[in-house]
Amino acid sequence: MITITDLEKYYATEEVRTIALNKLSFKVKEGEFVAVMGPSGCGKSTLLNILGLLDDPDGGSFVFNGIEVAGFNERKRADLRKHNIGFVFQSFNLIDELTVFENVELPLIYTGVKPAERKVRVDAVLEKMQIMHRRKHFPQQLSGGQQQRVAVARAVVNNPKLILADEPTGNLDSSNGNEVMDLLTELNEAGTTIIMVTHSEHDAKYSHRIIRMLDGQKVTENVLAEFKSV
Amino acid sequence: MIRNYFKIAWRSLFADKKYAFMNIAGLAVGMAAAVLIALWIVDELSFDRSYSTTDRLYQVYSKDSFDGKSNIWGRTPGPLVSALKSDFPEVEDAVRFAEDTELLSVGDKRLNTKGAITDSGFLKVFGVASISGNAATALTNPSGIVITQSLSKKIFGNTDALGKTIRINNKFDREITAIIPDFPSNSRFHKTEFLLPFEYWLQAWGSGMTESWTANNFITYVLLKPNMDLEMLNNKIQNTIRSHTSSSSDPVQTQIMLHPASKWRLYSKSENGQLIGGEITNVWRMGRIAIFILLIACINFMNLSTARSGKRAKEVGIRKVVGGSRKSLVFQFLGESVLLSFISGAIAFALAFIFLPSFNLLVGKSLYFSYDNPSFWLIAFSFILLTGLLAGSYPAFFLSSFKPIKVLKSGFKLSKNAFNPRKLLVVSQFAIAILLIICTVIIKQQTLFAKERDLGFDENNLLYVTLNDELKGNYEIIKKELIAKNLATSVTKTLSPISKIQSDRWGFSWEGSSESDKKQDFIYLSSDADFIKTSGVKLVDGRDIDIYNYKSDSTALLLNEKAVKVMGLKNPIGAIIRDDDKQMHVVGVVKDFIMGSPYEPVQPLMIEGPSAWFGYVNMRLNPLNATADNLKQIEAIFKEHNPLFPFEYSFTDQQYELKFKGEQTMGALASIFSGLTIFIACLGLFALAAYTTETRRKEIGIRKVLGAPVLLIATLLSKDFLKLVGIAFVIAAPIAYFVMNNWLENYQYRISIEWWVFAVVGLSAILIALITVSFQAIKAAIANPVKSLRTE
Ligand SMILES: Nc1ncnc2c1ncn2[C@@H]1O[C@H](COP(=O)(O)OP(=O)(O)OP(=O)(O)O)[C@@H](O)[C@H]1O
Ligand SMILES: [Mg+2]
Repeated sequence: MITITDLEKYYATEEVRTIALNKLSFKVKEGEFVAVMGPSGCGKSTLLNILGLLDDPDGGSFVFNGIEVAGFNERKRADLRKHNIGFVFQSFNLIDELTVFENVELPLIYTGVKPAERKVRVDAVLEKMQIMHRRKHFPQQLSGGQQQRVAVARAVVNNPKLILADEPTGNLDSSNGNEVMDLLTELNEAGTTIIMVTHSEHDAKYSHRIIRMLDGQKVTENVLAEFKSV
Repeated sequence: MIRNYFKIAWRSLFADKKYAFMNIAGLAVGMAAAVLIALWIVDELSFDRSYSTTDRLYQVYSKDSFDGKSNIWGRTPGPLVSALKSDFPEVEDAVRFAEDTELLSVGDKRLNTKGAITDSGFLKVFGVASISGNAATALTNPSGIVITQSLSKKIFGNTDALGKTIRINNKFDREITAIIPDFPSNSRFHKTEFLLPFEYWLQAWGSGMTESWTANNFITYVLLKPNMDLEMLNNKIQNTIRSHTSSSSDPVQTQIMLHPASKWRLYSKSENGQLIGGEITNVWRMGRIAIFILLIACINFMNLSTARSGKRAKEVGIRKVVGGSRKSLVFQFLGESVLLSFISGAIAFALAFIFLPSFNLLVGKSLYFSYDNPSFWLIAFSFILLTGLLAGSYPAFFLSSFKPIKVLKSGFKLSKNAFNPRKLLVVSQFAIAILLIICTVIIKQQTLFAKERDLGFDENNLLYVTLNDELKGNYEIIKKELIAKNLATSVTKTLSPISKIQSDRWGFSWEGSSESDKKQDFIYLSSDADFIKTSGVKLVDGRDIDIYNYKSDSTALLLNEKAVKVMGLKNPIGAIIRDDDKQMHVVGVVKDFIMGSPYEPVQPLMIEGPSAWFGYVNMRLNPLNATADNLKQIEAIFKEHNPLFPFEYSFTDQQYELKFKGEQTMGALASIFSGLTIFIACLGLFALAAYTTETRRKEIGIRKVLGAPVLLIATLLSKDFLKLVGIAFVIAAPIAYFVMNNWLENYQYRISIEWWVFAVVGLSAILIALITVSFQAIKAAIANPVKSLRTE
């Protein structure tokens, strides 16, 4: 599903030029659950942003579903993104002025789903995330774990093929964290590809494979579970 | 989608009540002001355009040059009308018109009424339909009169007035041949309540004035046939007067031109022989003020929205991540500002509605909202929509440009350095406010300056009444009695009130005068006796006119100093001045005094003895008596000796005040609206300061923990804003100087612009800004630092 080859990303500030990704290459198969680990500043988030089509690489190739997307302009990236990719962030990133229901509904609005169908789909996913009873609440009225469940619900409501999660448990205590990890595993078992950045070895164990990074490069790969391609 | 935008707009607007209030208040006040001004402008632009014949209607203007100066005026000779009608097939009809005030009486009801004397075609030329009576023939009946509906109501109540008789000036009976609707308030005939056929003029005053090609007594209105080329026709008719006077001894050079009805109101000021300006300058001025106010209010919105962009950035990022396009975000933010604009717009129209009566009072109009007109709603709707789009444009494009990867990173901050458009907005806001305030101050100064100018006569306690037919006969009895009873200290008859120019003349010659001196224009006044004593004008040389002691004073002349100067008279007393075959002799010279515009130098003046015409009786009231009491006794004397006419009087000082009305209204409007601009600008500044201090709360906390004193922190926070106001001043001051210098050029008698005005306005602006900003700064500076550091 994803093939990156010699991917490069630089950040140029006034004086220093930081190499965030240095000729990074790997593949992710459809249906796989991959964890990305590494010390702070090694380029994990940068990688995820590029995989999520939020950012453009400075060099190398990125093939998504058989299409070379490196060099796509913002409009094309956005188009591809909204139909294929869901995001989960460490800091939830819900819109404070919208209710739980409305937050989850948002991606459907942008992909042009009709209101009646939106309601059905949002309700279904809220049910699945066990947050239905909070559908009319605003994000500030929820616990961190609940907020992250809403964020996951929003990420999956459009049935994306790929979910990118950047430290999804980073702001949660262990029991809430485990709940979110169980959710992700469930989604993965249902067929969704997941790439997750994490600092927690515990969370990484939920995945099939761990990619370890240092200074923008891949150092090792540990295969945890046999993954049979679908 | 729309519903979602609306929802988030509503919620984000009221999530922050202070922000919502500031924004709505600023925008509503700005829009209300703009709405009122727009009403005013629409009214001005609609003047004299409601006649069904408007696009074919013209007034004839005369052009000539005197002392090398081109001049243009709206009065024409009497015979011009028939010449135009017979010589030019392009002319469908033309009428003479002369304003006239008459005493109308029916039974014991007596009313001094404004109206006009005109030719029979008037109603057709102006497309006036009658309510009753035949409009086509109403003015062809030589003993008829046409009255307006409201005059009919005043005299006859609800009974049908058609065919009834009105007595004019206690002398002439006229039969009502038609009743017409009142002329609307945006018509130049608004105050005209009756129309008399031209025969009335001949009967009352004879044909002398109507047959001369050199006496300009009438306004001539022309109705052209459809689709006439104005320029061509103007070329054709321009020498009409000259061609009819070539045989006369007086070489008249006067040309004529047609001035279209659509320009009567707006372009009526003659300058260098052209009708270039006038009310149109006020329209532009008001339009600019409206745009400025609206702009300032919109800038507030832009400023506050972008100041809050830190708060909105996360939302933008999230929306983009979940699939929102930039376009959809632009629409979302525009939607928000349009929503806000509609809320403000509703409040603005309510405000405008509440303040409309006072505004009307101030500008002397009767403006109203035409709710029943769909185009009113359409315009109001577009106005609000446009304001919303204008206010929302900048924040929409600014906010929607945020990159999600940047704004979603924790600890996102808008870059503080480099060029910040918000600063530019604050600067332009304050520049506009300062500009308007400086202009207001200078307008006020100029008005005050002219008002305080020494008139050269004593305008207080000086009363005048019109000299009606009956009064003409009993004048001397009344005068004697007024003085005998110690009501007045002195009384004089004059051609016009002392502070009003109603007549000017040229064509005089004197010893040593040249042919070109015949074109020297003199203001003309007359007196029987006691002019100096009554008016309080200073005598410089010779004596006052006094027909009662000097039989030859019938043709005596008083000159003012200016007249002596322009005539070059070495020994004015005894000089002989000729006007055709009439010979007059100078008996005295008076000091210059202001009869005309208080903004202009005094013009040469002649005051002639009783061989001239009289129109008014002036009385110097006895200052020892209480005015009210005095008036009561004077009225009693008039009732006795002048019973046929109502006793109506004017005070010279009050009439003089009217000369400042235009400037005073303009000055009042300017101060109100410039006050509003500074208010709106300060609302914006206040909110902006609040947001800036909020974003710097942590910094302030750290500084305080490190030991910075409150004052230092407050200064730190205020400094930036004050710098902006300072820059605004530097930009506004030269523009204000330039604009006001230009404006003052309109006045011969004017102030010079002084630097301290700028200093005072600049310092006040900075002071107001300081108070506005420091309120926030001090609040932030004295806050407990522990609090602000903990919440993060
Ligand atoms: N916008 C930026 N401008 C400049 N440098 C950046 C920018 N974003 C990231 N970097 C740099 O790129 C490198 C990789 O950053 P990245 O955020 O991908 O690290 P990370 O692995 O996600 O770290 P963490 O585990 O702390 O989240 C870092 O050295 C960082 O300083
Ligand atoms: Mg990271």
